Amino acid sequence: MQVTLPSSASSFDRAAERARVQQERRRSAIVDLVVTLSTIALALLVGFLVMLIVGKDPILAYSSLLSGPLSRSHRAGRWIEDATTLIILGLSVAIPFRARQFSLGAQGQMFIAAMIAAVIAIYLPLPPVLAILLPLVAAMLAGFVTGLLPGLIKAYLNANEIVSTLMLNAVIVLLYDFLLTNVFTPPGAQSLRSELIQPNSMLLRLSAIFGINLGRANLAVVMVAVLVLAVWVLLSRTPLGYEIRIIGANEKFARYGGINTQRTIALSFAIGGAIAAVAGVHLVLGVHQRLIPAIAAGLGFEGIVVALLARNNPLLIPITGLFYSYLRVGGDIMEQEAAVGAEIVQVIQAVIILLLTAQVLVNYAKSRHRLMRST
Amino acid sequence: MSTHAPHPTSPSATDSAAAPLVEMRGITKIYPNGVLANHEVTFAVRAGEIHALVGENGAGKSTLMKILYGMERPSAGQIFLRGKPTTIHSPHEAITQGIGMVHQNFMLVPSFTIAENIVLGTEPSRGAFVDRRAAIAAAAQLAQQYGLSVDPEARVDVVPVGMRQRVEILKALYRGADVLILDEPTAVLTPQETHELFTAIQRLIQVGKTVIFISHKLHEVMEISDRISVMRDARLVGTLDKHEANERLLAKMMVGREVFLNIEKTPAQRGPLVLKVRNLEYATETGVEVLKGVSLSVYAGEILGIAGVEGNGQTELVEVIAGLRTPLSGVIELNGKSIAGLTPRQVRQAGVAHIPEDRLTNGVALTASIQENLIVDRYTREPFTRGGLMRPAAIARNSEALIEAYAIRAPDGSLPVGALSGGNMQKVVVARELSSQPKLLIAAQPTRGVDIGATEFMHEQLVRARNAGVAILLVSADLSEVMSLSDRLAVMHAGRIVALFPSTEGLTEEEVGLYMLGTKTMSQSEIESHW
Amino acid sequence: MEQALQAIFSATFVAAVLRVTTPILLPALGGLIAELGGVANIALEGIMLISACAGVLVSIATQSEWLGLLAGLAAGIITALVLAFFHLDLKADIILSAIAINILASGGTIFVVFLLTGDKGSTSALVSRQMPFIEIPIIKDIPLLGPILSGQNLLTYIAFIAVAGVAIFLYRMRAGIHLRAVGENPDAARSVGINVRSQQYLALALSGALAALGGVYLSMGYVKFFARDMTAGRGFIALAAIFLGGKTPLGTMIAALVFGLAEALSVQLGNLRVPNQLVQMIPYIATLIALVVYALVQRQRAIAHQRRFRQAPTP
Repeated sequence: MQVTLPSSASSFDRAAERARVQQERRRSAIVDLVVTLSTIALALLVGFLVMLIVGKDPILAYSSLLSGPLSRSHRAGRWIEDATTLIILGLSVAIPFRARQFSLGAQGQMFIAAMIAAVIAIYLPLPPVLAILLPLVAAMLAGFVTGLLPGLIKAYLNANEIVSTLMLNAVIVLLYDFLLTNVFTPPGAQSLRSELIQPNSMLLRLSAIFGINLGRANLAVVMVAVLVLAVWVLLSRTPLGYEIRIIGANEKFARYGGINTQRTIALSFAIGGAIAAVAGVHLVLGVHQRLIPAIAAGLGFEGIVVALLARNNPLLIPITGLFYSYLRVGGDIMEQEAAVGAEIVQVIQAVIILLLTAQVLVNYAKSRHRLMRST
Repeated sequence: MSTHAPHPTSPSATDSAAAPLVEMRGITKIYPNGVLANHEVTFAVRAGEIHALVGENGAGKSTLMKILYGMERPSAGQIFLRGKPTTIHSPHEAITQGIGMVHQNFMLVPSFTIAENIVLGTEPSRGAFVDRRAAIAAAAQLAQQYGLSVDPEARVDVVPVGMRQRVEILKALYRGADVLILDEPTAVLTPQETHELFTAIQRLIQVGKTVIFISHKLHEVMEISDRISVMRDARLVGTLDKHEANERLLAKMMVGREVFLNIEKTPAQRGPLVLKVRNLEYATETGVEVLKGVSLSVYAGEILGIAGVEGNGQTELVEVIAGLRTPLSGVIELNGKSIAGLTPRQVRQAGVAHIPEDRLTNGVALTASIQENLIVDRYTREPFTRGGLMRPAAIARNSEALIEAYAIRAPDGSLPVGALSGGNMQKVVVARELSSQPKLLIAAQPTRGVDIGATEFMHEQLVRARNAGVAILLVSADLSEVMSLSDRLAVMHAGRIVALFPSTEGLTEEEVGLYMLGTKTMSQSEIESHW
Repeated sequence: MEQALQAIFSATFVAAVLRVTTPILLPALGGLIAELGGVANIALEGIMLISACAGVLVSIATQSEWLGLLAGLAAGIITALVLAFFHLDLKADIILSAIAINILASGGTIFVVFLLTGDKGSTSALVSRQMPFIEIPIIKDIPLLGPILSGQNLLTYIAFIAVAGVAIFLYRMRAGIHLRAVGENPDAARSVGINVRSQQYLALALSGALAALGGVYLSMGYVKFFARDMTAGRGFIALAAIFLGGKTPLGTMIAALVFGLAEALSVQLGNLRVPNQLVQMIPYIATLIALVVYALVQRQRAIAHQRRFRQAPTP
């Protein structure tokens, strides 16, 4: 029988450990970037292969996809316009995502916001500035309430938020369609659309500022800048943001620690809704300047990929939003120029989500990276 | 069912000349994250013996047994069964080679019946269908054969813990296990139930089974086992025959230094009444009445211990007081003010701190930083939040101070808590709860799943807080712990306080055990006289 | 009003309910299997869409409804296996991967249809096949019941037979019992040698197969063409049906019938010049209300359970 004697108390060098941790952190940030970029590259490659398989000319298609948005100034304008919407949507999704809530209600929130903003901007004569602020605030309130509803149902009744937000979206879209057809479209009009909003409510177009044709891109870009900052402050500098992050990390711990988890979860849905509403306001006051059918159609899940690519970091969302809208606008141009359906961009989007959420792939990439450094 | 001839069990017949039934030779296990869990471990079990495997948490016992049971693969080394080299790549392969394991947290499907659980995975079948009648018959027959009484048609989620454990043992026997690995089987049992289990184990040995018994509790190890192997720091430091061993020696081998198993503490300086609980009632959402009129008092500067078999309402009592559950009725007062039905935050602000029993899962947020974990109860207050904005500098200062004061081994407060070792996570919880300067500290199962070093730390902190005048409510299923730490001791059974002892002096574990089982109950007036 | 009541209490209306219930019931049963296997399948919608598309395209190419059905089934199972692979082997979050699959299905089907037909809307310009409608002898002549029970699409019969099939599978067969064990306590299942990963693969593959049948029914039974996003949220309504049905086969069927009733009703009322958007909202609002009511009932029940003891005298 053997008994080993006490080993000397191992020493713990804090300074050295700290240096090591910091280095590790820098390294992992770089690896994250590399992983994200290679994911994007891989997804584009998948799109490339799909086109090759279906017998399209992928080089022609990709050259219009990748250079299209910058080929003419009005196309760049479309890029800015689309990015404005997507960045706002990404921010709106990032907040409930941080609390690990799958709110898919952005679609409905945009439609509600569009309706509220349009009613005020069309029918209520207001002085400049107020003519923009009032519809904005009213729409955000509506978005807040529209988000709060499934949030409350989830937080207090624990009903599945995916089902409730999707059902709510469907109801709102139908309501929008109904009101547009029967209320907003003036009698005797040729096509389904409301009257133009009042000039005071129109967001100034960038074309008018810079003197070049930037399409419908408009001053909502300022709202984006403000929102990015606001969401960052909210998430990393306010008690509510702390609560959201802690709930996302461990909900039971949050409750044990004294956080009102139900209120915070409901609020995370509601704030996401208020932000999504800004995207709806942008569509009415900035882009279309009236209500048109399906004004925010097809945008429902776009915020998810933007937020996911940015890992729900509000400061990175502008970058990923710009990137993703570049692909979307490029896809439309590709469809015109190369007769390849723009929906290939959705395929690329799906591949990006799949690859980015695939932990094993991401970890594999990271361990490969570590291996390369150590040899 | 395999019916091997009983192996001879007398020591002379199983001397070292015969090949051991199980031999693990030179086992090394390195996890992908670089942790060395087993280092060249050689471990042999003779046929027909009860072999105890002891060691601190993280010493490598579980890993070694997981390797034997096919749940992990060794990085190096070889397993021999009945002298022949073998490989075990999955629990399924372990089962087919006659190895069964009873896990610490039971591996049962709650909504299935006992019979369904026993036969799960190897059901008697007709084609693709399960023959339910045959399953029930097989379970009943097996239960009778080994004297492990169970009700085959009862759903597992409604039967008591002791029966669930018997189901686990039957499950292994049904699969023809010759070697049974029992992973800390007594952790959830009363002394009487433990006694029953030991009788059952003896019966298994008599019919030729072999038992590997993993435990922390050295007196149990000394009582039941024939031989004892001790692990420390991923190595097997020695195997002793029972007659060579004693508790102190085993403890020394486990930690590599002398430990004081007794807790030194001065008599309590009892202050004013802090916590007053009267006629507290609570029922779960599924309608199970868990607290049936609990009354107790905790005074400043004393530790009131609550002993009891787990699942008799202790968890709910703690969570009701902490505001995590809403009581049906009853009084909870802190320094004379009612805190019943308040939110967890309001309860905390009233001066209650809570070290939860599941602290490594719910006492911390693993992906959040140490800094963030240390302010969860105080982030809304100055200096952490001012003018609606949080102040990173103040948050960092708080964590630096606590890392220092509680000797948390962390390079940096911005590190995620998940990067710390279990013991250090524990310290994060204790640092936060004690630094809130509580009037009442609730400590639930403070040393469960903790090694001797961390146990000492926890006991020290509790005694220190008590000496500083904090009222402490200690709930523990570890009878020796709760008896040695407490100034006064209450026993909980079936949602009631069934005994309250004004002092633990002269109390025996057997005496307390009778109350824990509900066979003895103090009169209400006697309990009240000790309030 | 009288007209409306007449329409609703007619045999044709009940037959219509069964018809519109089919593409909810089939994916709901699939989702139920996945749910009980511990792998919630949010991708039912996308799987249905892909199968609906694949079925129609193959039936156009081969002019055989059976090959179309086969292609739809295969496509659905493969899609479900892709989801399984990403979740079980690559450890991707199952909800996000499922959302990705739904996006892929929506974009991919339009892309392919556009590629083949030059039309992004639908394949209605091309001749595709339909699964057979079955007249049951004798039964079809029973007054009232005849028109309800007979003359339905083959897949409608399969859907209701599948309720019993799924129940037997889940509660009587080894594979089903193992699957439920995995969903409820994977560690327990693993410890007795059940392969958790393959059970969950099985659960997702079966859910893919059933959702695929629902998709094929939509494009090759309910109508006779594929249209973009033609599932119109049925995959999500199916999810709601699982929860409302208390996660049992029978309950899921009843919930699916309730949704089918709401949808059939909206069609009937639509014929009576109620604005069609408002009518179309009915099933969605019904789902929302049902979701809330169900949760409230659960809550009330819990509170009632707790209250039972309030009267109990304190010793």
